Amino acid sequence: MTEAEIIKTLLDFIASDCAGDEEFNALALKIFDYQFQNNLPYQLFCRQREQTPRTTKNWRDIPAVPINGYKDLCLSCCDPKSVERTFMTSGTTKDGLRGQCRHPTLSVYDASMVAAFRQYFMEEHERLRMGILFPTEQAMPNSSLAHYLALALKEFGSEGSRYLLSNDGIDWKELFTELEQVEQSGEPYALLGASFSFVHVMDEMARVGKSVSLPEGSRILDTGGFKGQSRELELDNFYESLSSRFGVLREDCINMYGMTELSTQFYDSGNASCPSAKSGPNWVRSRIVNPLTGAEIQKGERGVLAHHDLAHFNCVSSILTEDAGVEVDDGFILLGRAEGVEAKGCSMAVDEFLKVAKGEACDTNCGISSGSKS
Amino acid sequence: MILTAGYLPGLSPDEVEWQTLTFNRGGEQTEVSVPLLTDDQIKELSSDIKKASRHYLKGLPVSEILRTIDSAICQFLDRSNPYRQQAEKYLPRITGYDSEMVRLGLTSYLKTFRQSELRRFLSEDFFNPKILDEFQPLPKGGYGRAYGPDLLAHIWAGNVPGLPLWSLISGLLVKAGNIGKVSSFEPLMASWFARLIAEIDPRLGECIAVTWWKGGDTECQQALLNQADLVVAYGNNDTLQQIRDYTPITTRCLTYTHKVSFGMVSKSALDPIKAWNVAHQAAYDIVRYDQQGCYSPHVFFIEENGAVSPKQFAQYVASELDNFQKKFPRRTLTIEEAQDVALWKQTEEVKTFSDDCSAVMGDTDGTWCVSFSETPENLSPSGLNRTAKVISVQQLDDVPALISPYKAFLQTVGIAASPEELHRLACLLGVVGVTRISALEHMTVPEAGWHHDGRFNLLDLITMTEVERSAEISAEAFSNYVD
Repeated sequence: MTEAEIIKTLLDFIASDCAGDEEFNALALKIFDYQFQNNLPYQLFCRQREQTPRTTKNWRDIPAVPINGYKDLCLSCCDPKSVERTFMTSGTTKDGLRGQCRHPTLSVYDASMVAAFRQYFMEEHERLRMGILFPTEQAMPNSSLAHYLALALKEFGSEGSRYLLSNDGIDWKELFTELEQVEQSGEPYALLGASFSFVHVMDEMARVGKSVSLPEGSRILDTGGFKGQSRELELDNFYESLSSRFGVLREDCINMYGMTELSTQFYDSGNASCPSAKSGPNWVRSRIVNPLTGAEIQKGERGVLAHHDLAHFNCVSSILTEDAGVEVDDGFILLGRAEGVEAKGCSMAVDEFLKVAKGEACDTNCGISSGSKS
Repeated sequence: MILTAGYLPGLSPDEVEWQTLTFNRGGEQTEVSVPLLTDDQIKELSSDIKKASRHYLKGLPVSEILRTIDSAICQFLDRSNPYRQQAEKYLPRITGYDSEMVRLGLTSYLKTFRQSELRRFLSEDFFNPKILDEFQPLPKGGYGRAYGPDLLAHIWAGNVPGLPLWSLISGLLVKAGNIGKVSSFEPLMASWFARLIAEIDPRLGECIAVTWWKGGDTECQQALLNQADLVVAYGNNDTLQQIRDYTPITTRCLTYTHKVSFGMVSKSALDPIKAWNVAHQAAYDIVRYDQQGCYSPHVFFIEENGAVSPKQFAQYVASELDNFQKKFPRRTLTIEEAQDVALWKQTEEVKTFSDDCSAVMGDTDGTWCVSFSETPENLSPSGLNRTAKVISVQQLDDVPALISPYKAFLQTVGIAASPEELHRLACLLGVVGVTRISALEHMTVPEAGWHHDGRFNLLDLITMTEVERSAEISAEAFSNYVD
């Protein structure tokens, strides 16, 4: 298939919400063949695993690239120079550059986002007045999340929707005035942003003793979690605070789980209780696997999440994350990153070595040649 | 059945809070109850142990202590002994290591603590071990006697069965009272050993206690550190930094950090007949306790221009690891451990895309993995759990430059080379910080009396009391026979 054919087929697939397992498998194999033929590093990766389109009959056997792979491999089927947009991953290459996810067109990404957002977040609403607690797409052109939120505002935001965060950070006075206005308007409102932005806002609200009661039917969408931030919150506490500070029911506080290395996002159906199960639309499938063997892990047991996202057609559709998860009836539960463990013995582990060796290397002016985690 | 860890002389089990550690390995669940003492109990225990050490142990001749330890070790070596049988049954269940590997490992490890070996151990550090019993003349003049601390605190770590015995036996040899904190990964061996000692010599048993707290419980830790005269601690840099920070300034704190070890093979060992055996020995060092020891190899530097090429040697090691998997299967990894191995393996695989000469070998179940590099690379840790890097070097003399940046982490080097090469390399390696050189296949079995991380196991524990020559001479003036 050509790129144009792939794009058209995907847009049709996304538009028809009746595609089942067989259709998913058929399209997954076609896209695998396309990626295998047009992406040499991925082809090498698959050959090393002795898997080619000829030998592959089931999408589950399509080799999943570790997200780490984006750091070292140029994973793109099209000429990297001729893309509409490049999103940068959080992992960095050994030259200090960030991994890149290239999109020859954003039409598929956007169709995927819009369809799933409508289904999982908007429910009965066509449009909602929105407030975004994240920088704009112009401020962060390589952030997939900035694009995602801009798209949400453009496609689903009603009049008065706006960003509540500028280059200078959050203007508290402006934010609180906005929230008061919304409170008085009685119209349902949607507040969207990075999980940690909400923490900042709630910290400030706590400091000045403020809370609001957003109109009935209002919703909150947070994403990103707290990894690498100055503090981590227990999920239960986080949603309890969100609910009490903003007066939004916990079941209307939706968490979105997405990553730069995908073109489709996962959602839960509220956080009345935590952790909540996540699921995605029918052009993405997730499996819980053993990270070392790739073998699927039985339902209820911990493993690492592997996603197969048909919409991520230009890079690779099948990725192996570093997120631990468990399969449940209505999707999967995200357990956070499967952090490398501290070595149980007295032998040094890579992480500890890098941590100490970096300090040493500064003294001895000697580089480290070893894999590192993002 | 619930096993009980810990050994607390003078404390009745009813007075103590117990916690249960649960181990799930290979579908079998084993529960171990561990004691969790209050601050006051740690204080009381410390005071009792100090008293017992002062009143009994300090007066016990070293030869007696040797006999008691030897007798305990003898029982542990006897496969019909109930303690040994428990060790063979439960250590594989809680650590996950293959039971045959544990059995063989226990024997080879324990026999280094027989009486004859302990004597060697003593004479490594003391020219005249009687200095631990009474004042002995010193070469510089005067007399000296070595005293162990009244209370030596051990903070153990890790899941390699029996490792705590090293420092515990060292403590006994210098007549120290001992309180040891076992690791949650292997809380049993030290506890059993203490009980065995107490069965043989109950009063010596009163000089040892074995307890537990959850790693990071700074309150329990502080209580013990406040009482100790000397601290020996094992773990990663962060843990040890914290222990050192909490140790009172007047108390010495000896820390053993995590280390990286590696192997070297000279072209003289790479003829077609010898190379297979060398690869077998290298693989054995990788397999033993799944590279969890500080002496376990992560990397092998292989010299070029031998009859067997470095790449072929890597394949030999791979093949031997595959064989070992049948004989001593690797323990089941947790998801986090599997993730570490996977990340290392992926990083190595990605390198092969841009370098035709490198290769990654492994089995489909991920139970072992060998990554080969044709070009010299600096030392770096492997993904552990039977993963190793084989690096081709033009000559072994190039290796010191590849390891010298990491001086602080180096420990053992396993070498297969001719006598001339061995001695030449020893000089080069010693300079960059290597503290132990062994034969391959022996990397994980240090000999009795070895100097752990290059330090003196016993000398580091003692303080000397010296009677200077001046005191002797001046005393003469006050004797009843003075003219």
